Amino acid sequence: MTTATDTATATQVYQLYIRAGQQQVWDAITNPAIVARFFHGAQVESTYQPGSPLRSWSPDRSQQWGDNTVLECDPPRKLVHTWRSLYDPDLAAEPESRVTWEIEEQPGGFSKLTLIHDRLDQSPKTAASVKGWSYILSNLKTVIETGEPLPPIL
Amino acid sequence: MPTDDDDLVFKALADPTRRLLLDQLFARDGLTLTELEAEVPELTRFGVMKHLAVLEQAGLVVTRKQGRNKHHYLNPVPIRLIYERWIGKYRDRQVTALLDLKDHLEGRT
Repeated sequence: MTTATDTATATQVYQLYIRAGQQQVWDAITNPAIVARFFHGAQVESTYQPGSPLRSWSPDRSQQWGDNTVLECDPPRKLVHTWRSLYDPDLAAEPESRVTWEIEEQPGGFSKLTLIHDRLDQSPKTAASVKGWSYILSNLKTVIETGEPLPPIL
Repeated sequence: MPTDDDDLVFKALADPTRRLLLDQLFARDGLTLTELEAEVPELTRFGVMKHLAVLEQAGLVVTRKQGRNKHHYLNPVPIRLIYERWIGKYRDRQVTALLDLKDHLEGRT
């Protein structure tokens, strides 16, 4: 029986290995030109200073997609930011959740990237919508390892 | 040390008990060992631990410590990577072709 208030179940964890150094993965997730290539073409703006905004827009900038705040920035290891989607009114109405990116250097020229999306207990629609992290992260791996983004999702 | 090893993923998925454990985590993510054990009464604690170790090695389960508890999360990324490698790239092209055909027939292009 699922309880909506259970902290553990309000957390999603995604993890993958990328054939690249820690710094290269960090650069990919904090460089707007690269983010656009693995995150649905999103146009991202942020100084990545704690407390500063991290906003994203549709590729043509006609629509704001995300209104987030940087909570913690420890290059090239850890980035934490809030998460609020604006592209759908139902999602925008839910409380903010939180995204943590952790990058750990591994032997053999790999990095381990762990993405934790938590504080989703009061945001069930957001929790369902962010299941797409698998697609985003596999796309990120492809962009970093081959330089080519995947064909667009439909 | 898990890296990019598809073999580990396929081997982990080849066992019905391990698929059952993944189903439990799919239904309710973030379970502790004790909670998982209660969900699968036909297995001993040792059995659950053994199977979880294989799933963890394959990257299909990721554990996070929260206070004194260790929570187990279903990590869908390895399965997504397998999907991308053998299915996604073909399917997307076909779907795109079908959508192009639909647009063409409906006179939108």
